[in-house]
Amino acid sequence: MTRVLLFVLVSIIAILYLLLLAVSKVTIPAHGPPEIGAIQNLLGLPVALPFALSILSSFGSVLAVILIASSVGNEYNWRTIRTMLICSESRLRLLGAKLISAGIFILIGMVVGIATGFVMSLITTAIGGYAFDFSFATGGYLWGQFLQFWRTFYVLIPYVLLGFLFAIVGRSAMPGIALGIGIFFLESIVTTFMSLAGGWVAKIPGYLLAANVRAITALGNLPQNIGMGFGGANPLSQTPGVTHAFVTLAIYSLVFITVAFYLFHKRDVTG
Amino acid sequence: MTNQTTKELHSGSEEGNDIILRTTGLSKRFGKLEAVKDLNLELRRGEVFGFLGPNGAGKSTTVGMILGLIAPTAGNIELFGLKLNGNQWAALRRVGAVIEEPAFYPYLSGRDNLEALARAIGGISRAKIAEVLELVGLQERAADRYDHYSLGMKQRLGIASTLLRDPELIILDEPASGLDPAGTKEVRNLLPKLAHESRTVFLCSHLLHEVELVCDRVAIIKQGVMLACAPIHELLTQGQMLQIKVDDPAQAAAILSGLPWIKSVKMENDYLIVDIPKESASRVNAALAEHNIFASELASRNVSLESVFLQLTGGESGD
Repeated sequence: MTRVLLFVLVSIIAILYLLLLAVSKVTIPAHGPPEIGAIQNLLGLPVALPFALSILSSFGSVLAVILIASSVGNEYNWRTIRTMLICSESRLRLLGAKLISAGIFILIGMVVGIATGFVMSLITTAIGGYAFDFSFATGGYLWGQFLQFWRTFYVLIPYVLLGFLFAIVGRSAMPGIALGIGIFFLESIVTTFMSLAGGWVAKIPGYLLAANVRAITALGNLPQNIGMGFGGANPLSQTPGVTHAFVTLAIYSLVFITVAFYLFHKRDVTG
Repeated sequence: MTNQTTKELHSGSEEGNDIILRTTGLSKRFGKLEAVKDLNLELRRGEVFGFLGPNGAGKSTTVGMILGLIAPTAGNIELFGLKLNGNQWAALRRVGAVIEEPAFYPYLSGRDNLEALARAIGGISRAKIAEVLELVGLQERAADRYDHYSLGMKQRLGIASTLLRDPELIILDEPASGLDPAGTKEVRNLLPKLAHESRTVFLCSHLLHEVELVCDRVAIIKQGVMLACAPIHELLTQGQMLQIKVDDPAQAAAILSGLPWIKSVKMENDYLIVDIPKESASRVNAALAEHNIFASELASRNVSLESVFLQLTGGESGD
Protein backbone atom coordinates (compact mmCIF):
# COMPACT_ATOMS: atom_id res chain seq x y z
CA MET A 1 0.00 0.00 0.00
CA THR A 2 2.74 2.45 0.95
CA ARG A 3 4.68 1.70 -2.21
CA VAL A 4 1.57 2.18 -4.32
CA LEU A 5 0.79 5.51 -2.68
CA LEU A 6 4.38 6.64 -3.11
CA PHE A 7 4.24 5.71 -6.77
CA VAL A 8 0.99 7.64 -7.15
CA LEU A 9 2.51 10.68 -5.48
CA VAL A 10 5.60 10.64 -7.67
CA SER A 11 3.47 10.13 -10.75
CA ILE A 12 1.15 12.99 -9.88
CA ILE A 13 4.04 15.38 -9.39
CA ALA A 14 5.79 14.26 -12.56
CA ILE A 15 2.64 14.46 -14.62
CA LEU A 16 1.78 17.86 -13.20
CA TYR A 17 5.18 19.21 -14.14
CA LEU A 18 4.94 17.80 -17.63
CA LEU A 19 1.46 19.21 -18.09
CA LEU A 20 2.58 22.63 -16.93
CA LEU A 21 5.53 22.40 -19.26
CA ALA A 22 3.25 21.50 -22.13
CA VAL A 23 0.88 24.37 -21.30
CA SER A 24 3.70 26.86 -21.05
CA LYS A 25 5.02 25.74 -24.40
CA VAL A 26 1.71 25.79 -26.27
CA THR A 27 1.84 29.42 -27.28
CA ILE A 28 3.94 32.21 -25.92
CA PRO A 29 2.95 35.36 -27.74
CA ALA A 30 5.05 38.38 -27.11
CA HIS A 31 2.42 39.83 -24.89
CA GLY A 32 0.83 36.69 -23.58
CA PRO A 33 -1.23 36.54 -20.43
CA PRO A 34 0.78 36.99 -17.23
CA GLU A 35 -0.33 33.53 -16.02
CA ILE A 36 1.83 31.90 -18.66
CA GLY A 37 4.82 33.67 -17.20
CA ALA A 38 3.80 32.50 -13.75
CA ILE A 39 3.55 28.92 -14.98
CA GLN A 40 6.99 29.16 -16.48
CA ASN A 41 8.27 30.45 -13.16
CA LEU A 42 6.69 27.48 -11.40
CA LEU A 43 8.80 25.16 -13.45
CA GLY A 44 11.93 26.95 -12.48
CA LEU A 45 14.38 25.82 -9.83
CA PRO A 46 13.80 28.56 -7.24
CA VAL A 47 10.13 27.61 -6.95
CA ALA A 48 10.66 23.87 -7.13
CA LEU A 49 10.56 23.28 -3.40
CA PRO A 50 7.67 25.61 -2.54
CA PHE A 51 5.69 24.23 -5.46
CA ALA A 52 6.32 20.64 -4.40
CA LEU A 53 5.28 21.47 -0.85
CA SER A 54 2.13 23.08 -2.16
CA ILE A 55 1.27 19.94 -4.08
CA LEU A 56 1.96 17.88 -0.99
CA SER A 57 -0.42 19.95 1.11
CA SER A 58 -3.23 19.24 -1.35
CA PHE A 59 -2.74 15.95 -3.17
CA GLY A 60 -0.59 14.78 -0.33
CA SER A 61 -3.44 15.22 2.12
CA VAL A 62 -5.61 12.91 0.06
CA LEU A 63 -2.94 10.24 -0.12
CA ALA A 64 -2.12 10.56 3.56
CA VAL A 65 -5.78 10.08 4.50
CA ILE A 66 -5.91 6.97 2.33
CA LEU A 67 -2.77 5.67 3.99
CA ILE A 68 -3.89 6.06 7.59
CA ALA A 69 -7.50 4.99 6.98
CA SER A 70 -6.31 1.86 5.20
CA SER A 71 -3.70 1.13 7.82
CA VAL A 72 -6.28 1.13 10.60
CA GLY A 73 -9.44 0.23 8.74
CA ASN A 74 -8.07 -2.82 7.01
CA GLU A 75 -7.33 -4.37 10.38
CA TYR A 76 -11.09 -4.50 10.80
CA ASN A 77 -11.76 -5.49 7.19
CA TRP A 78 -9.36 -8.41 7.40
CA ARG A 79 -10.38 -9.11 11.03
CA THR A 80 -6.73 -9.06 12.02
CA ILE A 81 -7.65 -6.57 14.73
CA ARG A 82 -8.46 -9.42 17.11
CA THR A 83 -5.29 -11.29 16.26
CA MET A 84 -3.18 -8.20 16.85
CA LEU A 85 -4.95 -7.18 20.04
CA ILE A 86 -4.42 -10.63 21.52
CA CYS A 87 -0.70 -10.26 20.85
CA SER A 88 -0.35 -6.65 21.93
CA GLU A 89 0.52 -5.36 25.34
CA SER A 90 -2.17 -2.71 25.14
CA ARG A 91 -4.67 -1.35 22.65
CA LEU A 92 -3.31 2.14 22.88
CA ARG A 93 0.19 0.94 22.16
CA LEU A 94 -0.99 -0.86 19.04
CA LEU A 95 -2.86 2.18 17.81
CA GLY A 96 -0.01 4.48 18.69
CA ALA A 97 2.36 2.29 16.72
CA LYS A 98 0.10 2.52 13.69
CA LEU A 99 -0.12 6.27 13.95
CA ILE A 100 3.62 6.71 14.37
CA SER A 101 4.28 4.37 11.45
CA ALA A 102 1.90 6.33 9.28
CA GLY A 103 3.58 9.56 10.35
CA ILE A 104 6.98 8.21 9.36
CA PHE A 105 5.66 7.07 5.97
CA ILE A 106 4.08 10.47 5.41
CA LEU A 107 7.39 12.18 6.15
CA ILE A 108 9.19 9.82 3.81
CA GLY A 109 6.55 10.52 1.18
CA MET A 110 7.04 14.23 1.61
CA VAL A 111 10.78 13.92 1.17
CA VAL A 112 10.28 11.79 -1.93
CA GLY A 113 7.72 14.29 -3.21
CA ILE A 114 10.09 17.19 -2.77
CA ALA A 115 12.90 15.27 -4.40
CA THR A 116 10.63 14.41 -7.31
CA GLY A 117 9.62 18.03 -7.68
CA PHE A 118 13.22 19.13 -7.68
CA VAL A 119 14.22 16.54 -10.26
CA MET A 120 11.30 17.47 -12.47
CA SER A 121 12.26 21.09 -12.13
CA LEU A 122 15.77 20.23 -13.30
CA ILE A 123 14.28 18.39 -16.25
CA THR A 124 11.93 21.21 -17.20
CA THR A 125 14.74 23.73 -16.83
CA ALA A 126 16.89 21.66 -19.16
CA ILE A 127 14.05 21.21 -21.65
CA GLY A 128 13.31 24.92 -21.52
CA GLY A 129 16.91 25.68 -22.34
CA TYR A 130 17.45 27.73 -19.23
CA ALA A 131 20.69 27.84 -17.30
CA PHE A 132 21.07 25.91 -14.09
CA ASP A 133 21.45 28.68 -11.59
CA PHE A 134 21.54 27.63 -7.95
CA SER A 135 22.31 31.04 -6.57
CA PHE A 136 18.83 31.10 -5.05
CA ALA A 137 19.83 28.35 -2.63
CA THR A 138 20.98 30.60 0.14
CA GLY A 139 20.95 29.65 3.78
CA GLY A 140 17.86 31.76 4.31
CA TYR A 141 16.06 30.11 1.42
CA LEU A 142 16.89 26.63 2.61
CA TRP A 143 15.92 27.43 6.18
CA GLY A 144 12.65 28.86 4.87
CA GLN A 145 11.92 25.68 2.95
CA PHE A 146 12.86 23.57 5.94
CA LEU A 147 10.28 25.46 8.01
CA GLN A 148 7.71 25.20 5.22
CA PHE A 149 8.32 21.43 5.11
CA TRP A 150 7.26 21.15 8.73
CA ARG A 151 4.38 23.56 8.25
CA THR A 152 3.16 21.37 5.40
CA PHE A 153 3.41 18.29 7.62
CA TYR A 154 1.54 20.19 10.29
CA VAL A 155 -1.38 21.00 7.99
CA LEU A 156 -1.61 17.37 6.91
CA ILE A 157 -2.07 16.20 10.48
CA PRO A 158 -5.73 17.21 11.03
CA TYR A 159 -6.91 15.51 7.85
CA VAL A 160 -4.86 12.43 8.63
CA LEU A 161 -6.35 12.25 12.10
CA LEU A 162 -9.83 12.80 10.67
CA GLY A 163 -9.38 9.77 8.41
CA PHE A 164 -7.91 7.90 11.37
CA LEU A 165 -10.90 8.73 13.55
CA PHE A 166 -13.52 7.76 10.99
CA ALA A 167 -11.76 4.50 10.21
CA ILE A 168 -12.02 3.60 13.89
CA VAL A 169 -15.57 4.85 14.22
CA GLY A 170 -16.67 2.96 11.14
CA ARG A 171 -14.48 -0.09 11.88
CA SER A 172 -13.39 -0.08 8.26
CA ALA A 173 -11.09 1.70 5.84
CA MET A 174 -13.90 3.05 3.70
CA PRO A 175 -15.48 5.48 6.18
CA GLY A 176 -12.06 6.86 6.97
CA ILE A 177 -11.19 7.37 3.32
CA ALA A 178 -14.60 8.59 2.24
CA LEU A 179 -15.17 11.01 5.08
CA GLY A 180 -11.58 12.14 5.38
CA ILE A 181 -11.35 13.00 1.71
CA GLY A 182 -14.97 14.03 1.43
CA ILE A 183 -14.64 16.65 4.10
CA PHE A 184 -11.46 17.87 2.44
CA PHE A 185 -13.41 18.61 -0.75
CA LEU A 186 -16.78 19.50 0.71
CA GLU A 187 -15.38 22.23 2.91
CA SER A 188 -14.89 24.37 -0.16
CA ILE A 189 -18.55 24.13 -1.09
CA VAL A 190 -19.80 24.61 2.43
CA THR A 191 -17.54 27.55 3.18
CA THR A 192 -18.57 29.21 -0.08
CA PHE A 193 -22.17 29.27 1.05
CA MET A 194 -21.17 30.40 4.48
CA SER A 195 -19.10 33.24 3.10
CA LEU A 196 -21.98 34.35 0.91
CA ALA A 197 -24.36 34.30 3.86
CA GLY A 198 -22.56 37.16 5.53
CA GLY A 199 -22.80 38.14 9.17
CA TRP A 200 -21.54 35.77 11.79
CA VAL A 201 -22.03 32.82 9.46
CA ALA A 202 -19.36 34.19 7.17
CA LYS A 203 -16.89 34.02 10.06
CA ILE A 204 -17.39 30.29 10.62
CA PRO A 205 -15.01 29.19 7.83
CA GLY A 206 -12.23 30.84 9.82
CA TYR A 207 -12.72 28.13 12.43
CA LEU A 208 -12.85 25.24 10.02
CA LEU A 209 -9.89 23.31 8.70
CA ALA A 210 -9.36 24.59 5.17
CA ALA A 211 -9.02 28.30 5.86
CA ASN A 212 -6.51 27.66 8.58
CA VAL A 213 -4.56 25.29 6.36
CA ARG A 214 -4.50 27.98 3.70
CA ALA A 215 -3.18 30.50 6.18
CA ILE A 216 -0.18 28.30 6.91
CA THR A 217 0.50 27.08 3.39
CA ALA A 218 0.40 30.68 2.16
CA LEU A 219 3.67 31.18 4.02
CA GLY A 220 5.24 29.10 1.26
CA ASN A 221 5.67 32.17 -0.93
CA LEU A 222 4.40 30.75 -4.15
CA PRO A 223 3.93 33.22 -7.01
CA GLN A 224 0.66 35.08 -6.84
CA ASN A 225 -2.38 33.59 -8.58
CA ILE A 226 -0.90 30.15 -8.53
CA GLY A 227 -2.52 28.28 -5.72
CA MET A 228 -2.68 24.59 -5.24
CA GLY A 229 -5.62 25.10 -2.86
CA PHE A 230 -7.32 22.33 -4.70
CA GLY A 231 -10.26 21.23 -2.64
CA GLY A 232 -10.52 22.80 0.75
CA ALA A 233 -9.90 26.50 0.92
CA ASN A 234 -12.51 28.82 -0.50
CA PRO A 235 -10.97 32.00 -1.91
CA LEU A 236 -14.02 33.96 -0.80
CA SER A 237 -13.46 33.33 2.85
CA GLN A 238 -11.11 35.44 4.85
CA THR A 239 -7.81 33.85 5.72
CA PRO A 240 -7.25 33.83 9.46
CA GLY A 241 -4.00 34.86 11.07
CA VAL A 242 -1.11 32.43 11.31
CA THR A 243 -1.23 32.04 15.09
CA HIS A 244 -5.00 31.52 14.96
CA ALA A 245 -4.44 28.90 12.27
CA PHE A 246 -1.84 26.97 14.25
CA VAL A 247 -3.96 26.94 17.37
CA THR A 248 -7.15 25.97 15.54
CA LEU A 249 -5.50 23.08 13.72
CA ALA A 250 -3.89 21.93 16.96
CA ILE A 251 -7.26 21.86 18.69
CA TYR A 252 -8.84 19.88 15.88
CA SER A 253 -5.96 17.42 15.89
CA LEU A 254 -6.17 16.97 19.63
CA VAL A 255 -9.91 16.38 19.55
CA PHE A 256 -9.69 13.87 16.69
CA ILE A 257 -6.88 11.88 18.25
CA THR A 258 -8.43 11.87 21.72
CA VAL A 259 -11.80 10.64 20.50
CA ALA A 260 -10.15 8.04 18.29
CA PHE A 261 -8.01 6.60 21.07
CA TYR A 262 -10.89 6.67 23.54
CA LEU A 263 -13.20 4.76 21.21
CA PHE A 264 -10.57 2.23 20.33
CA HIS A 265 -9.74 1.65 23.97
CA LYS A 266 -13.31 1.29 25.17
CA ARG A 267 -15.19 -0.53 22.44
CA ASP A 268 -15.71 -4.27 22.33
CA VAL A 269 -14.03 -6.10 19.50
CA THR A 270 -16.42 -8.79 18.40
CA GLY A 271 -16.82 -10.87 15.28
CA MET B 1 -41.56 -37.06 33.23
CA THR B 2 -39.30 -34.90 35.24
CA ASN B 3 -37.90 -32.19 33.06
CA GLN B 4 -34.28 -32.37 33.90
CA THR B 5 -33.01 -30.44 30.96
CA THR B 6 -30.99 -28.18 33.24
CA LYS B 7 -28.44 -29.78 35.44
CA GLU B 8 -25.28 -28.73 37.06
CA LEU B 9 -22.92 -31.59 37.54
CA HIS B 10 -19.97 -30.73 39.59
CA SER B 11 -16.65 -32.25 38.85
CA GLY B 12 -14.63 -34.17 41.29
CA SER B 13 -12.28 -32.94 43.94
CA GLU B 14 -10.14 -29.92 43.25
CA GLU B 15 -7.55 -30.88 45.77
CA GLY B 16 -4.08 -30.39 44.38
CA ASN B 17 -5.33 -28.92 41.08
CA ASP B 18 -3.97 -25.63 39.86
CA ILE B 19 -6.81 -23.36 38.72
CA ILE B 20 -5.47 -21.15 35.93
CA LEU B 21 -8.73 -19.63 34.79
CA ARG B 22 -11.65 -18.72 36.99
CA THR B 23 -14.74 -16.78 36.05
CA THR B 24 -17.09 -15.62 38.77
CA GLY B 25 -20.54 -14.36 37.95
CA LEU B 26 -19.38 -13.45 34.45
CA SER B 27 -22.08 -11.71 32.45
CA LYS B 28 -22.30 -9.76 29.22
CA ARG B 29 -25.23 -7.83 27.92
CA PHE B 30 -25.41 -6.33 24.42
CA GLY B 31 -28.32 -3.94 24.67
CA LYS B 32 -31.31 -6.10 25.53
CA LEU B 33 -29.56 -9.34 24.71
CA GLU B 34 -27.95 -11.13 27.61
CA ALA B 35 -25.27 -13.10 25.83
CA VAL B 36 -23.65 -14.56 28.94
CA LYS B 37 -25.36 -14.85 32.31
CA ASP B 38 -23.62 -15.40 35.57
CA LEU B 39 -21.04 -17.84 34.27
CA ASN B 40 -18.87 -19.59 36.85
CA LEU B 41 -16.09 -21.56 35.31
CA GLU B 42 -12.82 -23.05 36.44
CA LEU B 43 -10.05 -24.38 34.30
CA ARG B 44 -7.31 -26.56 35.68
CA ARG B 45 -3.75 -26.67 34.52
CA GLY B 46 -3.00 -29.46 32.08
CA GLU B 47 -6.54 -30.34 31.12
CA VAL B 48 -8.23 -30.19 27.75
CA PHE B 49 -11.48 -28.43 28.47
CA GLY B 50 -14.37 -28.43 26.05
CA PHE B 51 -16.75 -25.50 26.01
CA LEU B 52 -19.82 -26.55 24.12
CA GLY B 53 -23.00 -24.92 23.07
CA PRO B 54 -25.26 -24.33 20.09
CA ASN B 55 -24.80 -21.33 17.84
CA GLY B 56 -25.39 -18.12 19.71
CA ALA B 57 -24.92 -19.76 23.10
CA GLY B 58 -22.29 -17.28 24.23
CA LYS B 59 -19.13 -19.28 23.67
CA SER B 60 -17.29 -16.72 21.56
CA THR B 61 -18.47 -13.91 23.79
CA THR B 62 -17.04 -15.74 26.79
CA VAL B 63 -13.75 -16.25 24.97
CA GLY B 64 -13.74 -12.60 23.96
CA MET B 65 -14.13 -11.55 27.59
CA ILE B 66 -11.34 -13.86 28.72
CA LEU B 67 -9.03 -12.38 26.10
CA GLY B 68 -9.87 -8.79 26.93
CA LEU B 69 -11.56 -8.09 23.62
CA ILE B 70 -14.97 -7.66 25.19
CA ALA B 71 -15.64 -5.90 28.46
CA PRO B 72 -17.83 -7.90 30.85
CA THR B 73 -21.00 -6.28 32.09
CA ALA B 74 -20.56 -7.98 35.44
CA GLY B 75 -18.40 -10.54 37.15
CA ASN B 76 -14.70 -11.25 37.36
CA ILE B 77 -12.14 -13.15 35.40
CA GLU B 78 -8.98 -14.41 37.02
CA LEU B 79 -6.27 -15.69 34.76
CA PHE B 80 -3.22 -17.24 36.41
CA GLY B 81 -4.42 -15.74 39.65
CA LEU B 82 -4.50 -12.22 38.23
CA LYS B 83 -7.67 -10.23 37.84
CA LEU B 84 -7.94 -9.20 34.23
CA ASN B 85 -9.11 -5.68 34.79
CA GLY B 86 -5.86 -4.70 36.41
CA ASN B 87 -3.12 -6.95 35.04
CA GLN B 88 -4.27 -7.80 31.60
CA TRP B 89 -1.02 -8.21 29.70
CA ALA B 90 0.80 -9.95 32.55
CA ALA B 91 -1.77 -12.73 32.31
CA LEU B 92 -2.60 -12.63 28.61
CA ARG B 93 1.01 -12.92 27.52
CA ARG B 94 0.80 -16.50 28.77
CA VAL B 95 -2.16 -17.24 26.54
CA GLY B 96 -2.32 -18.17 22.88
CA ALA B 97 -5.66 -17.97 21.14
CA VAL B 98 -7.46 -18.34 17.86
CA ILE B 99 -10.99 -17.02 17.67
CA GLU B 100 -13.25 -18.52 15.03
CA GLU B 101 -11.70 -18.24 11.59
CA PRO B 102 -8.05 -17.21 11.90
CA ALA B 103 -7.31 -13.78 10.54
CA PHE B 104 -4.01 -12.83 9.02
CA TYR B 105 -2.77 -10.33 6.48
CA PRO B 106 -3.73 -11.76 3.08
CA TYR B 107 -0.83 -10.18 1.20
CA LEU B 108 1.81 -11.63 3.51
CA SER B 109 3.13 -15.17 3.50
CA GLY B 110 2.43 -17.51 6.37
CA ARG B 111 5.92 -16.94 7.74
CA ASP B 112 5.69 -13.18 7.38
CA ASN B 113 2.40 -13.15 9.19
CA LEU B 114 3.93 -15.01 12.11
CA GLU B 115 6.87 -12.60 12.05
CA ALA B 116 4.45 -9.68 12.26
CA LEU B 117 2.84 -11.26 15.31
CA ALA B 118 6.23 -12.08 16.77
CA ARG B 119 7.23 -8.41 16.54
CA ALA B 120 4.02 -7.39 18.28
CA ILE B 121 4.60 -9.91 21.06
CA GLY B 122 8.33 -9.25 21.33
CA GLY B 123 11.17 -11.65 22.08
CA ILE B 124 10.22 -14.35 19.58
CA SER B 125 13.07 -15.67 17.46
CA ARG B 126 12.94 -16.81 13.85
CA ALA B 127 13.91 -20.26 15.04
CA LYS B 128 10.72 -20.34 17.11
CA ILE B 129 8.67 -19.35 14.08
CA ALA B 130 10.25 -22.16 12.07
CA GLU B 131 9.57 -24.56 14.93
CA VAL B 132 5.86 -23.80 15.15
CA LEU B 133 5.49 -23.95 11.37
CA GLU B 134 7.01 -27.40 11.43
CA LEU B 135 4.80 -28.50 14.28
CA VAL B 136 1.66 -27.68 12.31
CA GLY B 137 3.06 -29.03 9.06
CA LEU B 138 3.25 -25.75 7.17
CA GLN B 139 6.97 -25.38 6.71
CA GLU B 140 6.82 -26.16 3.01
CA ARG B 141 4.11 -23.61 2.33
CA ALA B 142 5.39 -20.98 4.72
CA ALA B 143 6.56 -18.71 1.90
CA ASP B 144 3.21 -18.73 0.13
CA ARG B 145 0.78 -15.88 0.51
CA TYR B 146 -1.85 -16.37 3.16
CA ASP B 147 -4.69 -15.78 0.73
CA HIS B 148 -3.45 -18.76 -1.28
CA TYR B 149 -3.90 -21.10 1.67
CA SER B 150 -6.71 -23.60 1.96
CA LEU B 151 -9.03 -23.30 4.93
CA GLY B 152 -7.27 -26.15 6.70
CA MET B 153 -3.92 -24.47 6.22
CA LYS B 154 -5.31 -21.22 7.55
CA GLN B 155 -6.54 -22.99 10.65
CA ARG B 156 -3.15 -24.61 11.12
CA LEU B 157 -1.44 -21.27 10.77
CA GLY B 158 -3.83 -19.97 13.39
CA ILE B 159 -2.80 -22.78 15.71
CA ALA B 160 0.85 -22.04 14.94
CA SER B 161 0.30 -18.43 15.96
CA THR B 162 -0.97 -19.55 19.35
CA LEU B 163 2.27 -21.42 19.99
CA LEU B 164 4.67 -18.56 19.31
CA ARG B 165 5.05 -17.56 22.92
CA ASP B 166 4.96 -21.06 24.43
CA PRO B 167 1.66 -20.33 26.10
CA GLU B 168 0.47 -22.05 29.22
CA LEU B 169 -3.10 -21.74 28.04
CA ILE B 170 -4.31 -22.19 24.49
CA ILE B 171 -7.80 -21.07 23.60
CA LEU B 172 -9.25 -22.42 20.39
CA ASP B 173 -12.63 -21.16 19.33
CA GLU B 174 -14.13 -23.42 16.69
CA PRO B 175 -10.76 -24.55 15.28
CA ALA B 176 -12.40 -26.88 12.78
CA SER B 177 -15.04 -24.43 11.66
CA GLY B 178 -15.79 -24.70 7.97
CA LEU B 179 -13.32 -27.51 7.39
CA ASP B 180 -13.98 -30.62 5.37
CA PRO B 181 -13.46 -34.00 7.07
CA ALA B 182 -9.81 -34.11 6.03
CA GLY B 183 -9.20 -30.65 7.41
CA THR B 184 -11.05 -31.49 10.60
CA LYS B 185 -8.89 -34.54 11.04
CA GLU B 186 -5.74 -32.44 10.52
CA VAL B 187 -6.79 -30.08 13.27
CA ARG B 188 -7.92 -32.90 15.55
CA ASN B 189 -4.55 -34.61 15.15
CA LEU B 190 -2.85 -31.43 16.28
CA LEU B 191 -4.81 -31.10 19.48
CA PRO B 192 -3.03 -33.82 21.47
CA LYS B 193 0.29 -32.18 20.57
CA LEU B 194 -0.94 -28.94 22.10
CA ALA B 195 -1.99 -30.39 25.41
CA HIS B 196 0.67 -31.65 27.71
CA GLU B 197 1.43 -31.53 31.40
CA SER B 198 2.00 -27.86 31.77
CA ARG B 199 -0.17 -26.61 28.91
CA THR B 200 -3.92 -26.29 29.10
CA VAL B 201 -6.32 -26.21 26.17
CA PHE B 202 -9.68 -24.47 26.23
CA LEU B 203 -11.58 -25.72 23.23
CA CYS B 204 -14.83 -24.20 22.02
CA SER B 205 -16.48 -26.38 19.49
CA HIS B 206 -19.75 -27.76 18.31
CA LEU B 207 -18.07 -30.79 16.76
CA LEU B 208 -19.06 -33.05 19.58
CA HIS B 209 -17.36 -36.16 18.30
CA GLU B 210 -14.02 -34.34 18.28
CA VAL B 211 -14.61 -32.96 21.74
CA GLU B 212 -15.52 -36.38 23.05
CA LEU B 213 -12.25 -37.74 21.68
CA VAL B 214 -9.88 -35.11 23.01
CA CYS B 215 -11.39 -33.38 26.03
CA ASP B 216 -11.06 -34.31 29.68
CA ARG B 217 -13.85 -32.10 30.93
CA VAL B 218 -16.62 -30.17 29.25
CA ALA B 219 -19.04 -27.42 30.03
CA ILE B 220 -22.26 -27.03 28.10
CA ILE B 221 -23.75 -23.58 27.69
CA LYS B 222 -27.01 -22.46 26.17
CA GLN B 223 -28.30 -18.91 25.80
CA GLY B 224 -25.54 -17.69 28.05
CA VAL B 225 -26.30 -20.07 30.89
CA MET B 226 -24.11 -23.01 31.85
CA LEU B 227 -26.13 -26.19 31.89
CA ALA B 228 -23.48 -28.70 32.89
CA CYS B 229 -19.81 -28.89 33.73
CA ALA B 230 -18.19 -32.24 34.40
CA PRO B 231 -15.58 -34.74 33.21
CA ILE B 232 -16.56 -36.46 29.99
CA HIS B 233 -16.80 -39.87 31.58
CA GLU B 234 -19.20 -38.57 34.22
CA LEU B 235 -21.44 -36.98 31.62
CA LEU B 236 -21.51 -40.16 29.58
CA THR B 237 -22.18 -42.49 32.50
CA GLN B 238 -24.63 -40.38 34.44
CA GLY B 239 -27.52 -42.23 32.93
CA GLN B 240 -28.52 -44.89 30.53
CA MET B 241 -30.30 -44.92 27.18
CA LEU B 242 -32.72 -47.71 26.48
CA GLN B 243 -33.97 -48.70 23.06
CA ILE B 244 -37.39 -50.34 23.35
CA LYS B 245 -39.68 -51.85 20.76
CA VAL B 246 -43.36 -52.32 21.67
CA ASP B 247 -46.59 -52.92 19.78
CA ASP B 248 -48.14 -49.63 20.87
CA PRO B 249 -45.31 -47.12 21.12
CA ALA B 250 -47.63 -44.15 21.61
CA GLN B 251 -49.24 -45.63 24.70
CA ALA B 252 -45.89 -46.80 26.02
CA ALA B 253 -44.44 -43.32 25.51
CA ALA B 254 -47.36 -41.75 27.36
CA ILE B 255 -46.94 -44.14 30.28
CA LEU B 256 -43.18 -43.66 30.55
CA SER B 257 -43.38 -39.87 30.15
CA GLY B 258 -45.60 -39.73 33.20
CA LEU B 259 -42.96 -41.31 35.42
CA PRO B 260 -40.99 -38.69 37.37
CA TRP B 261 -37.69 -40.60 37.35
CA ILE B 262 -37.67 -40.91 33.52
CA LYS B 263 -35.53 -38.11 31.99
CA SER B 264 -36.86 -38.18 28.47
CA VAL B 265 -38.75 -40.30 25.98
CA LYS B 266 -38.64 -39.93 22.25
CA MET B 267 -39.58 -41.89 19.17
CA GLU B 268 -36.93 -42.89 16.70
CA ASN B 269 -38.17 -44.91 13.76
CA ASP B 270 -40.05 -47.79 15.38
CA TYR B 271 -38.26 -47.55 18.70
CA LEU B 272 -38.75 -45.68 21.92
CA ILE B 273 -35.52 -44.13 23.14
CA VAL B 274 -35.73 -43.65 26.87
CA ASP B 275 -33.22 -41.76 28.98
CA ILE B 276 -33.19 -43.21 32.49
CA PRO B 277 -30.98 -43.27 35.56
CA LYS B 278 -28.37 -45.99 35.62
CA GLU B 279 -29.43 -49.49 36.49
CA SER B 280 -33.14 -48.66 36.00
CA ALA B 281 -33.92 -50.81 32.97
CA SER B 282 -35.86 -53.31 35.07
CA ARG B 283 -38.06 -50.52 36.46
CA VAL B 284 -38.94 -49.50 32.91
CA ASN B 285 -39.85 -53.07 32.11
CA ALA B 286 -41.98 -53.31 35.24
CA ALA B 287 -43.73 -50.01 34.51
CA LEU B 288 -44.72 -51.15 31.04
CA ALA B 289 -45.78 -54.58 32.28
CA GLU B 290 -48.15 -53.00 34.82
CA HIS B 291 -50.06 -51.65 31.85
CA ASN B 292 -49.91 -54.91 29.93
CA ILE B 293 -47.36 -53.59 27.52
CA PHE B 294 -44.52 -55.94 26.85
CA ALA B 295 -41.35 -55.05 25.02
CA SER B 296 -40.33 -57.22 22.10
CA GLU B 297 -36.88 -55.63 22.19
CA LEU B 298 -35.11 -53.88 25.03
CA ALA B 299 -31.47 -52.92 24.65
CA SER B 300 -29.06 -50.48 26.18
CA ARG B 301 -27.74 -47.79 23.86
CA ASN B 302 -24.37 -46.14 24.10
CA VAL B 303 -24.61 -42.65 25.48
CA SER B 304 -22.70 -40.22 23.36
CA LEU B 305 -21.73 -36.68 24.12
CA GLU B 306 -24.06 -35.68 21.33
CA SER B 307 -27.04 -37.28 23.02
CA VAL B 308 -26.17 -35.64 26.33
CA PHE B 309 -25.72 -32.33 24.56
CA LEU B 310 -29.02 -32.58 22.71
CA GLN B 311 -30.82 -33.61 25.86
CA LEU B 312 -29.44 -30.67 27.84
CA THR B 313 -29.91 -28.09 25.12
CA GLY B 314 -33.36 -29.23 24.22
CA GLY B 315 -32.38 -30.63 20.87
CA GLU B 316 -30.66 -27.51 19.45
CA SER B 317 -27.82 -28.57 17.25
CA GLY B 318 -24.44 -26.98 17.35
CA ASP B 319 -24.31 -26.65 13.56
